[in-house]
Amino acid sequence: MTFTSWQFGLFVALVFGVYYLPWVRRFQVQWLVFASLFFYGFGQPELLPLLAVAVFGTYLFLILTLKRRRIWLPFGIAFNLGLLAFFKYKFLFLPPDKLVSSGAPLIDFLLMLPLPIGISFFVFHNISLLVDLTKRDQPAPNLGDVFLYIIFFPQLVSGPITRAEMFMPQIVPKRFSDVAFIDAAKWIVMGFFFKLYVANNLNEMTAYMAYPLYQTLQTQDKWLLVLLYSYQIYADFFGYSAIALGLGLLFGYRLPVNFNRPYVSSSFSEFWTRWHISLSSWLRNYLYIPLGGNRRGAARTYLNLMIVMGLGGLWHGAGLGYLLWGLCHGLLLVIERPLLPYIKGLDSTPLLPVRVGFVFLCVTLLWIFFKLPDFDQASGYIAGMFTPSVNPNPTKIFYNLALLYSLPVMIQHLPVTGHFKQWRSKAEPYLYGMLAALAFLEAGPESAFIYFQF
Amino acid sequence: MRAILIWLTKWGIGFGAILLACGVATIWLGGSVSLPAVTVRDGTYVVLDRYFREAVPRIVLVGSSLTSRLRDEYFVTPGVFNLTVTGGSPLTGLEIVAGRPLLPAVILVEANVLSRPADADLVERYAKAGRSRPWFFRPVRWAVASYERWNHGPESRARVAASLDALVRQPPDNFDNAIYLKRALNEFEADDPTERLQFNILLLKQLLDSVEKRGTRVLLFELPYEESLERARFAVISRRMVHEAFPEPDRWLHIDYPREELRWADGVHMDERSSILVSRLLERALSARLGSGS
Repeated sequence: MTFTSWQFGLFVALVFGVYYLPWVRRFQVQWLVFASLFFYGFGQPELLPLLAVAVFGTYLFLILTLKRRRIWLPFGIAFNLGLLAFFKYKFLFLPPDKLVSSGAPLIDFLLMLPLPIGISFFVFHNISLLVDLTKRDQPAPNLGDVFLYIIFFPQLVSGPITRAEMFMPQIVPKRFSDVAFIDAAKWIVMGFFFKLYVANNLNEMTAYMAYPLYQTLQTQDKWLLVLLYSYQIYADFFGYSAIALGLGLLFGYRLPVNFNRPYVSSSFSEFWTRWHISLSSWLRNYLYIPLGGNRRGAARTYLNLMIVMGLGGLWHGAGLGYLLWGLCHGLLLVIERPLLPYIKGLDSTPLLPVRVGFVFLCVTLLWIFFKLPDFDQASGYIAGMFTPSVNPNPTKIFYNLALLYSLPVMIQHLPVTGHFKQWRSKAEPYLYGMLAALAFLEAGPESAFIYFQF
Repeated sequence: MRAILIWLTKWGIGFGAILLACGVATIWLGGSVSLPAVTVRDGTYVVLDRYFREAVPRIVLVGSSLTSRLRDEYFVTPGVFNLTVTGGSPLTGLEIVAGRPLLPAVILVEANVLSRPADADLVERYAKAGRSRPWFFRPVRWAVASYERWNHGPESRARVAASLDALVRQPPDNFDNAIYLKRALNEFEADDPTERLQFNILLLKQLLDSVEKRGTRVLLFELPYEESLERARFAVISRRMVHEAFPEPDRWLHIDYPREELRWADGVHMDERSSILVSRLLERALSARLGSGS
């Protein structure tokens, strides 16, 4: 059940309708937990037991950690990382086509299970829960609240990765009159617009980046499609995150904002404060700082950056391409770090677009490893970008259509000045209505959210 | 709550205004412009929509992506319509044509790739009533289509013919297709179409029977592959089975292809110059056949 399906619309309407009934107020948490389990089980019912094991296991370790943190916290984290390692990375060592029966039906069943949707996200929620809630001496939260934090359906599949200390205090009875309807509507409309109008339409064009189709492209079109993919992946993930935020508001929960115009970043370190903010914050708080952050000298800081970004890459997928993507970002951060004070010293208005353009170019080129996780295919594509095309029948790409579908991302990244801001606030409801109509009329063919695979 | 209602009302006005404008425009302009084909599927819709919009042609070609290269303008005779579903089966086009109340005088069926099934979704959408007109068109695509038509309007038949003649006068292209050919050869060698062909040949026989009873002449034809592919397993099995199923010489439109003049850009599909040459040969063979009255 994807966010863009009619079944999901019906599901949300039903859950919302019941949620605010006066006699349900005492059971709002339980109702949301039930709805979230239904949402997860709708796609992969066979994986519901895994979700239950993850939540009950984490809750058990939470109780134990609250008693003796030093001893039980590492076990709790290892339990969750073990789940992630088993389900996400088993196929690195055991390719599905080479699996042979072990003779034990349970082990065979577990080995053959597909990658559970959202495992990368809920495992990070679990770790956040164990770390955040055991910092201070406080009573254990009840199981229902823990369940809700981990499996709250708007953020279950692809985040945003919410910190436990931010979410748990929000678990209180909610009233219909407190719902931030306008904010929720804005996020939801914006999310659907970016997903349906931008991402799904661009997806039709970037489909030509797949192997072996890309060999039919002209050299300049290979460059164009990388650019379009950069816009597509942003629109896709921003769209998902915006819908999640809006849905969260409908149920009275404020989830963290995940994007802040990332393509205007003038440095790579700034990019990571604007792109997938909830993941980079998680990695900073639970990995980079515990590793020592920048407090143990330059060499150790660089090593920490490479470790964090490399693992961040692998978090996205079990493949060399993802690791390479993360390491390349780590390397860019390492190279940039000592130079940044000098670059900032030279800072001037004409230099800023050059810096923004350079960061955007590097980030965009690295998305190739996302689109083509197979390393040979990705390197083949990159080589093709620097080789003249001689194919006499190249694929036709409509440049004007590409521009019109990318335009919302470009406009969103423009700075908003005072006069325009004033005009926009007056026209805002009409504009959101028009965006919703355009998303409906001009929606591209259904395609899964890119981050669902992670 | 009042502020929320006002906001939502304005939102509704914005939403409704765009929908209304597009609804009215669809009634007024809908179907007058073919939307740009971004994907292969889009291209199929464009071709099928055009087939339903225009008068029934005299000659229809149905085939796979091999035949899709033989564009209508390559034929000198007017009234030729290539109803090929790119990447699909000749059976799809044939089933859609057979489902129409009026049939063309001649249907030419490509026999190279009969192993693929008919596209049930397309047949369902088009075979009986034709594609239903949507309530609202896609405004962005329509704007782009209009711009493209304005910017690259259709050229006169004489001008197109002159540019095609100029292309034919050039020597064959020397594009190195070795990588593509190797991949195609591997695929052709790995594929045994026997089972799929048995079923599809039966369906083809039924369809031929049904349209011929209504007075349409149906001829099969084969397009050339690159030399090494002709000997590959898929091509050999397909050719043998189709000829065994349709042994009558009258059923076939025989064409002698000048292989030294032909090129296959990706190992399987002909380049533009070769497609023009083949289209003209096919046209000549058809005139000879129809002219002889056989």
